[in-house]
Amino acid sequence: MGFPLLLAIIVTPLVGAVVVALLPAARTEVAKALGYAFTGATAGLCGYLLWHFQAGDRGFQFVYDQPWIPGLGVRFTLGVDGISLFMVVVTGLLFPLGLLASEKYITHRVKAYVAWFLLLETAIMGIFLTLDLIAFFVFWELLLVPMYFLILGWGSARRKYAATKFFIYTGLGSAFLLASTLVLGFLHQADTGVLTFDFRTLADWNGLSGSAEVLLFVGFMAAFAIKAPLFPFHTWLPDVHTEAPTAGSVVLAGVIIKMGAYGFVRFSFELFPQASVDLAPILLVLAVVGIIYGAVVAAMQTDLKRVIAYSSVAHMGFVILGIFSLTVIGIDGAVFTMVSHPLTTGALFLLVGMIYERLHTREIGEMGGMWNVAPVLTGLFIAAMFAGIGLPGFSGFVGEFLSLAGAFLYDRPFAIVAALGVIFAAVYMLWPFKRAFAGRASGAVVRMKDLDLREIVVVVPLLALSLFLGLYPKPVLDRIEPAADRAVRNFERKTDYRSPEESRDRRDTERRVEREQRRAEAREGEK
Amino acid sequence: MIAAAPIATPAVDLWAIAPIIALVATGVGLVLIRALLRRNQAVTPVCFSVAVVGLLVAAGLLARQWHRVRDDGPIVSLADMVRVDPFAVFLGIVIVAATLAGLLLAYAYLRREDLEAPEYFALLLLSAAGMLMMTTANDLVVVFVALEVLSIPLYVLVAFDRRRLRSQEAGLKYFVLGAFSSAVFLYGIALVYGATGTTSLSGIATFLAGNTLFEQTTLLVGLGLLLVGLGFKVAAVPFHMWTPDVYQGAPTPVTAFMAAATKAAAFAAVLRIVLTAFPQYRDDWRPILWVLAALSMLVGAVAALVQNDVKRTLAYSSIAHAGYILMGVYAASSRGREAALLYLLVYAFMAIGAFAVVMIAAPGPDDAKHSYDDYRGLAVRRPVLGGLLIFFVLAQAGVPLTSGFVGKLELFGSVAQAGETSDYVLLVIGVLSAVIAFAFYLRIAWTLVTAPDDDTAVAAAYSTRPRRVDGWTGIVLAGAAALTLVVGVLPGTFIHFARDAVFF
Amino acid sequence: MTEFYRSYLAVAVLILAAIGMVGFMLGLGRLIRPVRAQEQKYIPYEAGSDPTGTFGQSNVRYYVFALLFVIFDVEAVFIFPWAVNLESLGWFGLVEMTIFVVVLTLGLVYAWRKGVLRWA
Repeated sequence: MGFPLLLAIIVTPLVGAVVVALLPAARTEVAKALGYAFTGATAGLCGYLLWHFQAGDRGFQFVYDQPWIPGLGVRFTLGVDGISLFMVVVTGLLFPLGLLASEKYITHRVKAYVAWFLLLETAIMGIFLTLDLIAFFVFWELLLVPMYFLILGWGSARRKYAATKFFIYTGLGSAFLLASTLVLGFLHQADTGVLTFDFRTLADWNGLSGSAEVLLFVGFMAAFAIKAPLFPFHTWLPDVHTEAPTAGSVVLAGVIIKMGAYGFVRFSFELFPQASVDLAPILLVLAVVGIIYGAVVAAMQTDLKRVIAYSSVAHMGFVILGIFSLTVIGIDGAVFTMVSHPLTTGALFLLVGMIYERLHTREIGEMGGMWNVAPVLTGLFIAAMFAGIGLPGFSGFVGEFLSLAGAFLYDRPFAIVAALGVIFAAVYMLWPFKRAFAGRASGAVVRMKDLDLREIVVVVPLLALSLFLGLYPKPVLDRIEPAADRAVRNFERKTDYRSPEESRDRRDTERRVEREQRRAEAREGEK
Repeated sequence: MIAAAPIATPAVDLWAIAPIIALVATGVGLVLIRALLRRNQAVTPVCFSVAVVGLLVAAGLLARQWHRVRDDGPIVSLADMVRVDPFAVFLGIVIVAATLAGLLLAYAYLRREDLEAPEYFALLLLSAAGMLMMTTANDLVVVFVALEVLSIPLYVLVAFDRRRLRSQEAGLKYFVLGAFSSAVFLYGIALVYGATGTTSLSGIATFLAGNTLFEQTTLLVGLGLLLVGLGFKVAAVPFHMWTPDVYQGAPTPVTAFMAAATKAAAFAAVLRIVLTAFPQYRDDWRPILWVLAALSMLVGAVAALVQNDVKRTLAYSSIAHAGYILMGVYAASSRGREAALLYLLVYAFMAIGAFAVVMIAAPGPDDAKHSYDDYRGLAVRRPVLGGLLIFFVLAQAGVPLTSGFVGKLELFGSVAQAGETSDYVLLVIGVLSAVIAFAFYLRIAWTLVTAPDDDTAVAAAYSTRPRRVDGWTGIVLAGAAALTLVVGVLPGTFIHFARDAVFF
Repeated sequence: MTEFYRSYLAVAVLILAAIGMVGFMLGLGRLIRPVRAQEQKYIPYEAGSDPTGTFGQSNVRYYVFALLFVIFDVEAVFIFPWAVNLESLGWFGLVEMTIFVVVLTLGLVYAWRKGVLRWA
């Protein structure tokens, strides 16, 4: 084993958090600089990971394995595949930007802010990279602590309520996650005599009885559905988004709410294939309800940040829709949306944060006429808005289209109803836009300053990336597809579910995967 | 005329009870030193040194015993009444460590509160001797004697701060309820003796294995009463009512000692009695423990949520922790015992650490101000002290990379392994309780990092000169923090240690 | 009902009889006695003299002495059976008893040095 890259990705921000925490409180400049250095270094490692990732490989790469709690068979196992790869990369990208965006907004107790922020990055990276269920839970739980402190310490007026709500919802979810994990591990031990929580071993094991599988699936689902957030477990999301500091919102929308969807694909699918297949219709119904409900409620909001928060509920509906269509193309689309949504929503949250810094309000009614006063802001907002709506050419379109296609293959009514959500999206984004930006400027808006260079630098990369992926999604899809294909094959191997996808498409995928593998082997051979 | 037939005196292996003798001798010696050096200024330092030496000797003896009993099997002596096995030695080490902490913490505390130091040291050591006796007891009568020996000094210790009304109240409350529970326990012994004809734990097991009872009510009622009596000592719901008042009222070093050592000793008795004497009646006592564990976890966590006093919150949380440990007893497996032992070890240090900070950090001269407002902004004013308290409460909450997490995981795992539906229900209750507990632990942590809202409170907090952390307390804090961190990050050694100790 | 419990039946009957007897006698007295309320009749009886109004007449020092007495009382309870069997217990018994007495004496020394034994 060479350099433990994945371990480094997790440990770098942790080291940063400790170092920053040990600084004297007065040295805010040093704290900030170290924050950039450590998030930047992590981002660099993520870039290295992306570069060296083998596109055609179905399995896990860069695997790192260490015993941790020997008595319980808990190991510290890390690995990355096409599904987690992009979540890691997006996380690596969002954190330095989030810090940059906080530059003006966070003025008090900067040191503590930076430290918690770095700890948050460790937790998130850990969640996406671990292959041991207990270690996964560890990071899942660890996430609560920095998030709680970030909301409480630097949120807006009703932060106490929001932090408590976030805490209760996700805490309850993780309670069921831990219980189910332990039960699963010990059932495996009772059957095979080996006590392990290694995800790959448990996924290969086929000894669960039908009812146990359903119960455990529901236990895992409790955690994932709350985090996703799936309708009707979503009510914490708008509150937390509204109260959290901007960088918190960006990270929350960008990666934290993807963890639920990630959990479904990574763990529920492979550990409980039969239950996933059996319960898929229920989750599809919830996803579709979430899409429509999120869109309708978003259109009703008067607070610009809440509009975006509810739009996230709708977007996550698309992700769940794609995942539980149980098709390669649907899962492709879902994971792609998970990559694209942080870019578009992140940009929108950042822009709303910048508006708030200027006007000290997020009420749409108190805005109006910003177009004339701040043309750069408006231009970027328009771009971000269209990216969010899913205009062809932006990445949002690709993901939603593929998800819908998957749902269409699974069962048409789901796709037809869900497609309405795309139309609603135009309504809930364009209507507030008209009220906030068009018209005559009045009140505080008149004296509003346009974006400065720093702010442009924060937002533009996200939008550029979204545009790039919208125009040329192939590199991302190439890396997601083998992993998605593995998930669907897993269903076909373990259950009597058969993917409705055209066999020709599957053969294509198959052939491409083999070709990539041959190429990779050839490359290895050259070395 | 009674014939002068020689009475068979039992073989006495002094080696087996050497740690107990060391503690008792030191305790009695302290009383003598105190009596002789009545007016001498040096009496406190001298007594303190003697007490520390006595404890270190006991610890050394326990360490020697550990290797011997682990490799050569348990030492059974004094007519089968004392059984020194890895289990006993493990808990003995926990108890001696906790006693040492209680001693070191008290040195500065007693001077600050102007209390009689030598008597405190003597009572502490005598109570610890009772606890060691409890861990090695292999006979219900010895368990009872040990219970009294450990309790009576504790009653005095709790009321030791006799100028403070709350301390007196706590002492009286603990005494009345403790005496009551002792009586209940004694009645349980009588009934069990009536049913089986012996008070020896292994004797009871042999009898029950060899005979089928015609009529079980007496035995079951007796067993139930034994569990009630011990339930008081471990502070399990519904026998927990004294805990918050006593923990809050007692001098803080005593609270730390009680939370760590009394729990370990009482659980030693619980584990030994149910597992050694009544393995045949597993299906009868397990439901009782199920209920006790579930109630303790839920009531402890929920009640802690609504407290406004840090010490009281920690008291309620100790009830919840008793519930977690009861899960390990309930599991009635080797893994369950291992988990319970490990948890007793790690909880001892988490609790001592937290109470040590509480002892230093409370404002005001008389150890009475522990409300959340008194602690607001502690971590801002005194980063190291506040940071340590945050660390200890997060460890108690079971945050990963702390010993609390490893311990909880082991306990939950032991219940998950048991594999029945009711086990899973208990598991879910336990995990839910852990989540609720998380909420109030985070609340404490949050209180510590926020500055007070109004300026007068800030002024008041800054005007009282912060209390210095004396060297002994510093040692305790460093030790507790180090152990909590090491077990959390590299649990391997300690799990092996606990695993070696599961053997009766 | 088993034989074991039947033997306790007599005890139960005796308890019931005792309660019944007391109830009967008090009840009968209440029925037949004349009731003439006078204030003096409601004063607590204290050896014939009028109560002075405050409680706590017994000095706390009595309590300390009582406690010391109980300790040595219990000591005697242990020493008598030992003395009766002194021959058969031999040296072992002697050593044990010496330790026991020494420990108790230490307690007495402590009490003495603390000034418990002085009356003033």
